[in-house]
Amino acid sequence: MTATDNPQTTTGVPFTLNGKAVEARKDELLIDAADRHGVHIPRFCYHPRMNPVGMCRMCLVDVDMGRGPGLQPACMMPVTPDIKVDTESEATKSAQDGVLEFLLINHPLDCPVCDKGGECPLQDNTLSFGPGESRFVEEKRHYEKPIPISPLVDLDRERCILCDRCTRFAKEVAGDPLIHFIGRGAQTQVNTFPDHPFSSYFSGNTVQICPVGALLAQPYRFKARPWDLETVESTSAVDTTGARVLVQSSRNQLTRILGLDSDAVNWGWLSDKDRFAYQVTESENRVTEPMLRRGGDDLTPSRWSDATKTAARALRGDPARVAVLGGARLNIEGQYAWAKLMKGVIGTDHVDCQLSDGLPAPMALGLPRATINQVCAPGGVVVLLGPDPKEELPTLYLRLRHAIVEDGVSLIELTPRPTSLSDLAAARLHCVPGTVGQVAAALAPGVSNESADAQPADQMTAARALLDGSRPVTVVLGRANLAESARYTADAVGALQRLVPGVTFLPALRRGNVLGGLEMGLTAGFLPGGVRRAGANFPAWPFVPDFDGKDADGIMRAAANGEIDTIVLLGADPMEDYPDAALAKAALERVSTLIAVDAFVTSSAAEADVILPAALFGESDGSFLNLEGRLSPMLAKVTPPGQAKADWMVAVELATALGIDLGFVTLAELRAELSSMATTFASVDWNRLASADDGPVLPLKRQWVLEFGDAATPPAPSSYGLRLVVDHKLWDQGTMAQESPSLAGLAPPALLHLNPADVEALGLSEGTPAIIDRDGATLEAPWVADPSVVPRTARMAIRLPGFDVRSLLTVGRSVTNILIRAAGGTH
Amino acid sequence: MGYLEGFGVTFRKWGEGVTTRQYLGGRGGSSDQKAPKPERLHGRHVLNRYEDGMEKCIGCELCAGVCPARCIYVRGADNPPDEPRSPGERYGYVYEINYLRCIHCDLCVEACPTEAITETKLFEFSFTNRADAIYTKDELLVGDDGKPQQLPWEDWRSGEDEHTSAWMRATAPAGKAAYEGVVGWSGELGYGVRAPELGQTAPPDEADRESGAHDDHDDHGGHH
Repeated sequence: MTATDNPQTTTGVPFTLNGKAVEARKDELLIDAADRHGVHIPRFCYHPRMNPVGMCRMCLVDVDMGRGPGLQPACMMPVTPDIKVDTESEATKSAQDGVLEFLLINHPLDCPVCDKGGECPLQDNTLSFGPGESRFVEEKRHYEKPIPISPLVDLDRERCILCDRCTRFAKEVAGDPLIHFIGRGAQTQVNTFPDHPFSSYFSGNTVQICPVGALLAQPYRFKARPWDLETVESTSAVDTTGARVLVQSSRNQLTRILGLDSDAVNWGWLSDKDRFAYQVTESENRVTEPMLRRGGDDLTPSRWSDATKTAARALRGDPARVAVLGGARLNIEGQYAWAKLMKGVIGTDHVDCQLSDGLPAPMALGLPRATINQVCAPGGVVVLLGPDPKEELPTLYLRLRHAIVEDGVSLIELTPRPTSLSDLAAARLHCVPGTVGQVAAALAPGVSNESADAQPADQMTAARALLDGSRPVTVVLGRANLAESARYTADAVGALQRLVPGVTFLPALRRGNVLGGLEMGLTAGFLPGGVRRAGANFPAWPFVPDFDGKDADGIMRAAANGEIDTIVLLGADPMEDYPDAALAKAALERVSTLIAVDAFVTSSAAEADVILPAALFGESDGSFLNLEGRLSPMLAKVTPPGQAKADWMVAVELATALGIDLGFVTLAELRAELSSMATTFASVDWNRLASADDGPVLPLKRQWVLEFGDAATPPAPSSYGLRLVVDHKLWDQGTMAQESPSLAGLAPPALLHLNPADVEALGLSEGTPAIIDRDGATLEAPWVADPSVVPRTARMAIRLPGFDVRSLLTVGRSVTNILIRAAGGTH
Repeated sequence: MGYLEGFGVTFRKWGEGVTTRQYLGGRGGSSDQKAPKPERLHGRHVLNRYEDGMEKCIGCELCAGVCPARCIYVRGADNPPDEPRSPGERYGYVYEINYLRCIHCDLCVEACPTEAITETKLFEFSFTNRADAIYTKDELLVGDDGKPQQLPWEDWRSGEDEHTSAWMRATAPAGKAAYEGVVGWSGELGYGVRAPELGQTAPPDEADRESGAHDDHDDHGGHH
């Protein structure tokens, strides 16, 4: 238990600490109570976010429980009334001396070359509490110097002091028990199992919590020493969780990201993507100057003035023939500036910061929000109506997992596939694509339908019992399947709202600051502050669009039909990232001017006529709106390379080229206007944002009401065999991972997952690839029999090396049916 | 008429002759010998190598961290496994000292855990551009004979390159007099293990030369 679990407890436990009468909270550990009263007890194994184990004995202190003083480990001992604790007694000192002398027997003198040197708890404790001299003259224990236990983490076993932090983290927090103690006595070591690398999405956390230099981050190896580093508190923009981070740089280069212990968000944990994707800023492939296509030639470096002039010429036409895609990479300020430029100046409403892989904007904006702490509050019920959180929102996954395992939260899965949380779920309802709305509707008492009857009766009963209104219910809501229309998810949301009045939602979208983008009006039909376009009054804007725009699907179709002349890509790469590859290609090739604001020449930017170089994470000041509606700072630590600019400055440049004053030339002016225009931001104190602990949760109340109809009937089974489930893996071929050297190789090869029963029915034989047939379009794919796949479905992840599943997807289809047969000849 | 008084000074000084002399650095024949240098003169640095030729620097950046003038820039890197530059995992990949900033305080020498950086008695160097003032690792590293490399703008006399780590050897590990005469450092390329020099317990006539030697009492401690 952590101190934060019961902050409101007022019934104190009186005890004596170094002669002073103080009070501990109920059930509080002695080590925490001492910390709160300003007495630091040295420790190695104790970590406030994990269960104590008492491995290292460094926290031994003199405790008198009425029978005379004796040494007790402070991390294992809840404070009981009237004990007398002495952390400075002779016995305590001699115990600390002894523990450190023993720990240093086998610990090598690597400090000058060790990446932990300078910020090492073992160094610090030795200096503060150690004996100063060693009596050990024998040879130390030797192991092979650092062995890679995963592509991201090196293990130096000589340095390990066996504190059990990493192994506990892997087992208890991440649920990936891939590292463990092996051997006995002096030969005990931490290691992986043979042939099983420590391929956890969370392996970097073990590096951060290691109290010595035994676990080291490969990307940070020998890059800098702690005293070189400058630090700012920022927010990770890798997914919508918005994990709080420390961004560290040395000599104007980002060198490291550490998790910041934020009670409300990530508890100090990060996914490896949060932690290591900063390398993208150092990529050699960065676009550092504007690029311009002159005539039909290749893209060539150009000046800002020429590039913006060319872009401005294309933007001057009929606003209904201009569209914007993307914007989830931008910070709030960049999103506002672009929303104002495109909607308030140019006057188009064809804007979408999602690429058909999220939720309809009214749903993402209009549902009552829950916070992560509300979702994870002890005793609640959580409905997972979305993707596997481990793959798409890994830091949120750690919070959810802790809530289920430690705090008695019950999980109901309403997903098209088992997820990483299935083993812990109280009710598992895995719905064939198209049926989730019906299944959710049947959770109400007395309702039944065909789809619900297909679910296991015991799971339905368990889910109904959990939703009987006796426990608070929250929903983690996202897009679980790209090959299935979001309308079925909407049906399920409607059903849950009717069943549980007052249910709140956590919109678990995937793309960085996409919820900020929606809030800032980078979506059709809305303006900053979640206000509907129609009838809105925006005095600081020259005007507002006079038509309701299209979403990404609509924009793509219109562009492919020649109804759009100019598309602006705000960090979006539809060629690789839009679920319908053929449509994206047709659209981008048909438009006459393509303007890309990006840091890389992505497949889409390579088609562009103008590329404007943008600053990335850690290179510009701004803020981030996470899935709770929490506004937290995202600060610059290094300067953008070359002539790259912050996104809001790019908008200002373009406005200038258009001959218009956007109304702000500094971030402060922009923020002042933003606060006055977007009512949800009216209360934000921008100056205090960087110093606020977790950032304020904005009151995202809407003036309009979101309504849902009855659940649609699921599409009838066709002659086609299986229904396709397409989702994301954490490691894929996205630009961020591809341009980070140590993440580029982590994407697993694309594989078709089939239920073993279906494999047998289809007559597939091991070693022969399957041929996937969708309306005559065929794709050959390696496959694997996977019992976790729901029968009559087939599962694939998008953007993996091997084959491109997007060739099977067509936007606008309610579900995607495929036919599978064995490939004729040998492979 | 105040300005006439001013001219008066000029005219009076006219006939007094020149007191500034050109520094000849020993080139002026027997009358212009270089003055003997003090035992612990702080000249420019060298990066030492072990007897087997390996570099002593491991790129730990402690020297850069301790430098009060922020004149040292170091970056470490993984030793190439087939051709290691230094013993262990890490070597100094970049090592630069900016002599426009260096104040020759020798804190870097004290901080160095491997005796890699020491100061010579070479102090006669002047540059005509800033790039020359930044000594790179190639320039600081001793040559294959263990001697400092002479750079074009450095003024040397024979034998001056012998004293590359004298100050280091005069100081006992942990500064304790009990270590007097004990060799506490490793061998160097070109010199092997050098003999210990006289340290804290030097004979009285040696110690007399040191100005603070006679008033070394607690009540004067603040003057040191």
